[in-house]
Amino acid sequence: MSTLPAMPQHVGFLPSITSQTSNPSPAQQQLPNSRSWIHKKDKDIGPSHGLGEKPKQPELSKLEIAVYKNSHKHNICVNMLREGYHKSFSELFALIQKWNTSREAAGPGSAIWQEEPLEKQPDKLDQLQHFLTRAEAAQRAGRYEEMYTNQLSLANYFNNSDDKWLSHHFFESCLHTSKLVKDGGQKEAEAHSNMGKVYMEQGQLEKAAEHYEVFHHLTLGLAWKDKAGRTHNSWGCESLWRIYTLLADKMLENKKHEQAIKTLIKAFEMAKEVGDKKIEGEAAYCVGLAYHRCGDPETATTYLNMFMEISTALGDSNGLGKAFEAMAKALESQGKITESVKYLEKFIQVAKSSDQSRSLQDACMCLGVIYNNRGQYDKGCKYFEMASTIAMNLGDLQLLEKAQVYIGIGKAHQMTTFSSHIEATGHVNMERVLAWKNSRNDMFNDPSAVCSKLYPSS
Amino acid sequence: MDWVGIHEQICQLLLPVRTPLPFKSLCKEREHQQAQLLQRQKHLIELTQAAARKKLCEGRHEEAVPAAMQCLRYSIEVHGLSTLPLILPYLLLAEASIGTGHLLQAEEYLSQAQWTVLKRSECSRSILHKLHRNLGLLYTAKGEFDNALQHLGNDIYYASEEFGTDSIVTSGGYFHMANVFFQQSKMDVADSLYTKVTDIWSTRLSRLVQSPSQSPSLPSASSASPDEALDEAQEAEAAQMLNAIFDIREQAQKQDPAALASASCALAMLCYLRKDLDRAQELGRKALSASQWGADPGFTESIVRFLQRIRAGENLPVPQRAPGSPREPQRAPESQGQLLSAESRQGPEQHNQGYSRAKIHN
Repeated sequence: MSTLPAMPQHVGFLPSITSQTSNPSPAQQQLPNSRSWIHKKDKDIGPSHGLGEKPKQPELSKLEIAVYKNSHKHNICVNMLREGYHKSFSELFALIQKWNTSREAAGPGSAIWQEEPLEKQPDKLDQLQHFLTRAEAAQRAGRYEEMYTNQLSLANYFNNSDDKWLSHHFFESCLHTSKLVKDGGQKEAEAHSNMGKVYMEQGQLEKAAEHYEVFHHLTLGLAWKDKAGRTHNSWGCESLWRIYTLLADKMLENKKHEQAIKTLIKAFEMAKEVGDKKIEGEAAYCVGLAYHRCGDPETATTYLNMFMEISTALGDSNGLGKAFEAMAKALESQGKITESVKYLEKFIQVAKSSDQSRSLQDACMCLGVIYNNRGQYDKGCKYFEMASTIAMNLGDLQLLEKAQVYIGIGKAHQMTTFSSHIEATGHVNMERVLAWKNSRNDMFNDPSAVCSKLYPSS
Repeated sequence: MDWVGIHEQICQLLLPVRTPLPFKSLCKEREHQQAQLLQRQKHLIELTQAAARKKLCEGRHEEAVPAAMQCLRYSIEVHGLSTLPLILPYLLLAEASIGTGHLLQAEEYLSQAQWTVLKRSECSRSILHKLHRNLGLLYTAKGEFDNALQHLGNDIYYASEEFGTDSIVTSGGYFHMANVFFQQSKMDVADSLYTKVTDIWSTRLSRLVQSPSQSPSLPSASSASPDEALDEAQEAEAAQMLNAIFDIREQAQKQDPAALASASCALAMLCYLRKDLDRAQELGRKALSASQWGADPGFTESIVRFLQRIRAGENLPVPQRAPGSPREPQRAPESQGQLLSAESRQGPEQHNQGYSRAKIHN
């Protein structure tokens, strides 16, 4: 071995591997992950030397050297492996790789390119290490509930820090673990509910619906309660109602009327199960509207009646107003104009009392149009004028202009007598027309305004 | 030893390298001479490295030493001291020394390698992981488990960065780490790691078993590509690890049928690939009976299919070279396969004595 060079003696960087290193048991209890730990140790050693002495080199163990030399990610990975948590290591590694791959795929200039990489965010890495290792220890010991709790903590942590993809990943892990927990399915139900929430946030309504359906199925008839004291079942029903309504909206936009109605009816059933009358009423209203849109006003009126009853019972004037308006429209399409008018007038009363200007304006316009169509132009004009005043108060130019146009139309229609006089072209008629032009009073029906010379009408 | 070790192969090649070169007057001729010499030396380096690696994989540590020494000598001549290409010969020597029990020498070689690595910042992760693995093995042999775990952790980290967390290269690191935990009597951690190693090898081996070259008539759903086939060193490493795990599972106080089933199945697949059909069948049957206690009917089914394949493989016509045994070796690799499988049967005794001997896949 003469060719081997002499081992350098003075290097403080490369510790001797033949000497026994100091027992790193304090390090094992609190593994130094950060360089600040080393600096703190440095300061602890401190300036305890006299003036002529060189400061003592801080005695660093191999572990401390590694902490100083390597990146935080490296140190965390090696610490996890040293303690035997290889699954946590694999998971952390995979998450970092996933982030890097998606960044590469997005390319420069995308939003993710500007973000700090996961491997360079020490707080998140520390959180991941803490909870993943505890979850793995629990898994090895068969304590699946503890494993579930740790994974849930991670999911909530990342939810709060807006790393949605990470929280999604951990909610999924919670779901897998929850199936192993033997508590009658409560954790599994919770996990499904969380997954449903995640998918709703992402806008994937069908998947969210699937998860909430399982949640509903699992919680049927059971009295599990969440932190706020509300039963899981009721929360499940409400979430399902919400999702079905959203899904139905989409279907209506795509003109899939039958599917939409089926979904809305499911939503209504769910709403009834919730036990909250307000939600039930809203659901009935949606169904009624959908039926009306699809051209089935009779069924629409049934549901709208239900909604009306509920709103009256709850004293909800907003709801009541909406109900009256919808009923009126439905009745109108059925041809039952008188009833429709009745409802519209009720609507106007409610709207006036609850100060809903827009709906009031809407109602006035509707009524005006109906009266116009029936030939009752004076009533029609009265309502149009009401509508235009409200529009002025609201400051909405479009509505105001529309109202004014309708007033004009109404007034024009009112002048039928005028037109009949023009058509007649007799002297009396001309006199009458001239008189009106001079004074702009409605004198056509007033026989005393006729001029002294009576001409036989032709 | 030297002759068997390496000189048998390189004696002829040493002649032109060792003899002093005749003087050439023209500069061009001298340059040509130098270039030829360099080429011969490089060839020698490769040859000796391959020979040393092969011997280490086969467990013949003493025979590997001369080969590794020659490799080192010529690497120093070609590349100089303290250069990156020297690290591999140092690692080979260290491994051989650990295998023969000369721990101090191994330490010297490893510290030399480590010094070279520290001086050069551009060391590849592949070399770093091998260095840390060897350091881990050294400390395991010395009984310094904390240091061993630190180095094996680094080994797995670098191997994962280079090859992925589920590659067969990384599985070596997991295996050695499991051995350390086993010696520290932390059985749950060791179990978990052994399971991981078994899983990694099962995935790879089942892909190879299903590949078109093995069974052309069967459809291959997720078969391996041709470059995924194992080389000799990898096969030897797999044999060592899977045999050890199988023994541990069989001799465990608290029998875990699922673990025993997967270990037997993996080992059976390896034997099948090495054409040791008898042993493959025996292990397959063991796996089947163990798996029936487990809760995975899909796994039982796949073992049944595998056993059928082995029986189908046995029925293939074999050219009769010699009377007597029905399963004569067809070609050289098979005989080597049988030889290796015989050696791997000796493996359990070796492993029961201690886990300091290790074969590193280079």
